[in-house]
Amino acid sequence: MSQTITIDPVTRLEGHGKITIQLNGQGEVEDAHFHVTQVRGFEKFSEGRPFYEMPSLMARICGICPVSHLIASAKACEAIMSVRIPHTAAQLRRMMNLAQMVQSHALSLFYLSAPDLLLGMESDPKMRNVFGVVAAKPELGLAGVGLRRFGQHIIELLGNKRIHPGWVVPGGVTEPLAAAKRDEILGMLPEAYANIALALKWYKQVAASFKPEIEVFANFPSLYMGLVNEDESIEFTDAALRLIDAKGAIVEDGITASRFTEVIGEAVENYSYTKFAYYKPLGYPEGSYRVGPLARLNIVKSMGTPRANQELAEFKQLANGPVESAFYYHHARLIEVLYGIEKIEEILTDPLILDKQVRATAGVNRLEGAGQAEAPRGTLNHHYKVDEDGKITWANLVIATGQNNNAMNKGVLQAAKHYVKDGKFTEGILNRVEAVVRAFDPCLSCSTHAFGQMPLALTLLSADGEVVDQVIR
Amino acid sequence: MSLRTARCLLLACGNTLRGDDGIGPWLAEWAEERFSGESDVRVISRQQWTPELAEEIAHAECVLFVDCSVESDAGSVRTIHVEPANPDQGLATHHIGAPQLLELARELYNSLPRNALLLTVGAGSIELGEEFSEAVAAAQSEACGKIEEIILGFLRTISGS
Repeated sequence: MSQTITIDPVTRLEGHGKITIQLNGQGEVEDAHFHVTQVRGFEKFSEGRPFYEMPSLMARICGICPVSHLIASAKACEAIMSVRIPHTAAQLRRMMNLAQMVQSHALSLFYLSAPDLLLGMESDPKMRNVFGVVAAKPELGLAGVGLRRFGQHIIELLGNKRIHPGWVVPGGVTEPLAAAKRDEILGMLPEAYANIALALKWYKQVAASFKPEIEVFANFPSLYMGLVNEDESIEFTDAALRLIDAKGAIVEDGITASRFTEVIGEAVENYSYTKFAYYKPLGYPEGSYRVGPLARLNIVKSMGTPRANQELAEFKQLANGPVESAFYYHHARLIEVLYGIEKIEEILTDPLILDKQVRATAGVNRLEGAGQAEAPRGTLNHHYKVDEDGKITWANLVIATGQNNNAMNKGVLQAAKHYVKDGKFTEGILNRVEAVVRAFDPCLSCSTHAFGQMPLALTLLSADGEVVDQVIR
Repeated sequence: MSLRTARCLLLACGNTLRGDDGIGPWLAEWAEERFSGESDVRVISRQQWTPELAEEIAHAECVLFVDCSVESDAGSVRTIHVEPANPDQGLATHHIGAPQLLELARELYNSLPRNALLLTVGAGSIELGEEFSEAVAAAQSEACGKIEEIILGFLRTISGS
């Protein structure tokens, strides 16, 4: 008799999803799926709105990475306007995107995944949260809270709001940086450097004890995609995309936002509301690829900043070619945080950073435009079409979670096949399967307000739908 | 890291797009205006309370948390003392309550406000929308009065210390 195990909802994610594991008559894992169970509809309800409203509308997609949506959307609008934004505006946007990356990565690592890494996959579920981290290692909790606040405070200083700042607009930003704010951010840097140094040291110590998980956490060859500068250093805001294969060879380079749909397609599966992106020449699912911190570090040759460069060199030693296990998303995340702090410092020393010219203006000069940026969890592409009056007639967004969707599903299957034996599972096994998805840090939608608690239920169903066993926590 | 701190902190929570859940932010806006000239009072309003707020709490002498409640009768205004407490389940991530924030302030910064109160307004409806239910709309002035009374009491305590 075949059975299905359901993990619903998957906890410690940005949004709501569930996992089902299908067992065969021998109790062996036959298939597994990660389902995204929300419908959003942003692309549809934006139709008819003036294009210049799009950044602030699209930012509402997410409460964790609204800045990336703001930037990708503003760039799509600027393509419609046919304008190049002032240098200072580009630098200020870059800084805000990096600040968001720092706070988002801090949330993912310290609040969502550190409980597993610090306390263990089999630890008491009641302690697997930020309180458990603080109780077991207060200095780590303090570092995590500090890094998150560092990123959030920069966003607040620049945009006058911590979440959904309206400061990024088509053409640039609404106001320049004041000297007092620059100095305040510079004053925050020493503590941020100390916090990330502590976190990197701790991570490297604990990672050694997770070799079994590293082996089966989405540990397989794949393609990788991310933004890269012409000098092959990492970039989050203004550059073209590069796609590499499982051995690190360049498959496609110079993918600008307007070329994105030439090379990337989206497939649909009947078990998820999130699409599955793929590289068109290879088709679906063979052309599936990964984005986000692991992909970015696999693609670039340099971080472009001294301390992060040292960490990247060490990271590259983990494999002869691209680093494959999704467990290493955690490591990559920390290196990116270090890079973010260094780059913010560099941007603040730009002699033009206080310049008052921060916005270009224009009307509708093209009827179609696309923009792209790196969100914390991966590449983001916004593509709009407008009528002569500038009203949106069509919109499509390709988000990071969709681009990682196939890899997450394959990763869940790999871990489930390894851990679930003879149809039996424990709470620790359940947590490991969830942790595979958690490593990717998918953002299913934080802007949907969660009211009340979200219990986790793992249910064994017989072929005829009868509940055979259930674990609830 | 620089942090704007105040001896008296009002910390509100709620979603203005979910009916009566927006009463926290509405009361925060009212308090911000009412105490705009008072440097010892700081008002923060968030859609959700997150662990980063623990530092602000640790630096305050008195804290008033403001939220709506789905457990109280619609429109009822209640005030209770809050004590630090760990979460009673394992899902605390970026959505935590007043007792947990106090616990984090104690654990991370070894500091607690001398007085911490939670004011709640019972929700009638938290369905999508920007309007308050009749019960909560009728309770707005009572809640404002209570907040004024509490904050003024906090300020007297602080000035006497």
